[in-house]
Amino acid sequence: MIQLQRVTKHFDGSTAALHNINLRVDTGALAFVTGPSGAGKSTLLRLIARLERPTRGRIMVNGQDLETLPRRRVPQFRRSIGLVFQDHRLLFDRSVQANVALPLEILGYRRGEARKRVRAALDKVGLLNKENAAPQTLSAGEQQRVGIARAIVHRPALLLADEPTGNLDPALSREIMNLFLDFNRVGVTALVASHNLELISSLGKPMLHLENGQLEARHGPRSEGRA
Amino acid sequence: MKAFHNKSPLHKASPGQGQGHGMRGNGERAGHVQAWAYNHADAARRSVGRRLQAPGHTLIMITVLGFILALPAYLWLLLDHAQHLAGGIDHEPRIALYLDDLTADEQAAAADRIGALPNVAAITHISADQALATYRAALPDPGLLDWLDSNPLPAIIEVLPLTSTPEAVHALERVLATTVPQATIVSDHEWIRQLQALHGAGLRILLVITGLLGLGVALILMAASASELRERREEIAISRITGATDRFLRRPSLYGGVVIGLGGGVFAYLLLWVGVLLAREPVEAAAAAFGLPMPMPGPAAPLGLALIAGGLILGWIGARLGSMIALRD
Repeated sequence: MIQLQRVTKHFDGSTAALHNINLRVDTGALAFVTGPSGAGKSTLLRLIARLERPTRGRIMVNGQDLETLPRRRVPQFRRSIGLVFQDHRLLFDRSVQANVALPLEILGYRRGEARKRVRAALDKVGLLNKENAAPQTLSAGEQQRVGIARAIVHRPALLLADEPTGNLDPALSREIMNLFLDFNRVGVTALVASHNLELISSLGKPMLHLENGQLEARHGPRSEGRA
Repeated sequence: MKAFHNKSPLHKASPGQGQGHGMRGNGERAGHVQAWAYNHADAARRSVGRRLQAPGHTLIMITVLGFILALPAYLWLLLDHAQHLAGGIDHEPRIALYLDDLTADEQAAAADRIGALPNVAAITHISADQALATYRAALPDPGLLDWLDSNPLPAIIEVLPLTSTPEAVHALERVLATTVPQATIVSDHEWIRQLQALHGAGLRILLVITGLLGLGVALILMAASASELRERREEIAISRITGATDRFLRRPSLYGGVVIGLGGGVFAYLLLWVGVLLAREPVEAAAAAFGLPMPMPGPAAPLGLALIAGGLILGWIGARLGSMIALRD
């Protein structure tokens, strides 16, 4: 479960990137965060992943208060999260297989077991045949799917995706979103930020709308932003 | 893309998965130990792989480290050999007591007291008249001495110490000075003491040079390690987001430092052998000129091990400091 209570975030004393956000995403839920560029979607996800710290307010993720989370336990916390970025953030000096295996490397999986899991993850995103390819030889959609495979390969309890369809055409975007629906169906909690209102409206899932750093619910149950 | 089902291998339980969540059983702990060991082995393998991918850079680092380690070791080897050469000189130290103002009876009494001291092997009492007679016998024209009004030579008690180490001789000198306070004491062992003092000073200077060079090596390796980690910053950023600890991120650098340190230590040992082989002939010839036919030995295995250990330690420290700085940046 993700819970934000009166969360505000300022960067270097500027106006608030996020202002007084109250949000709750239950375990096993899938929610979309929408809003125009600069609305604070990425900041919201970065706060939940503990890549940033709030200026004010409290953030709870899976029962863990991130404010009281000791620095040395942050890596352990992040292992329970899968992150997908708009720009994929793949390592171009290693193969698709090695990119996807990175979280397993960190977790200390043996090579055989890691390979099995990587193949399973690539299979899920339809890229098993590209296992040994170099990322730069893949299309943008394929690169994004590699990023998603990397985010889910270690079975995170929570999946956070920041504009995962940002650079993709409508058909590919729908395929990517369907992947998130699939993951959610097997119990993964997911929070997906996207400005593609048309696409996510069609998915029938709760949407949380951010505008100028403030949250309002749409297609979602309540105004406090509950999904 | 395939449909996503609960029975997917992606979502099966796995013993190694999810480190650090909740309580763990013995089996899971054993799994973590295995994972930890595997992680280290993997980091070492990747680190060696990286070194092999840039063989030129690796060889330069190993060469620099080897030269820097070999230099003080070579100087130490030469100093050590010089000390052995000095120790090989067949020298029986003697202490002479010049007795200017003592009567014959007082001289005899002094000789008795000295002869009873514990570290005295033998004494020779030479009266002033005996000394003059000996001198007269050595002169080509002994008649010259008849021009003297009186005998200018003092009586001498020559002492042969039981133990001839510089420390024992020096201690005996102090005892003799209190036993016969009127005597002027001269030891022919002084030059060995001076040589030892020079050796001590040489060792101290060598220690300082070694320390400075060691610091230099550590800084070079630190800079190399920091630079390597900065080149990996994208990988590090992604790894951190994925849950990598600093310990995990610096592990390949530490193994890299150890690999370079090991290579540098071995190379330094080889350089020492080359240095000894080049210097052996003139050094042995110089020793022979002093009547010391002493062969110059090669660097012993313990010295080689010390060089390798030094290389490993410096490599590790340099990489540790470099990774600490780079990861903090």
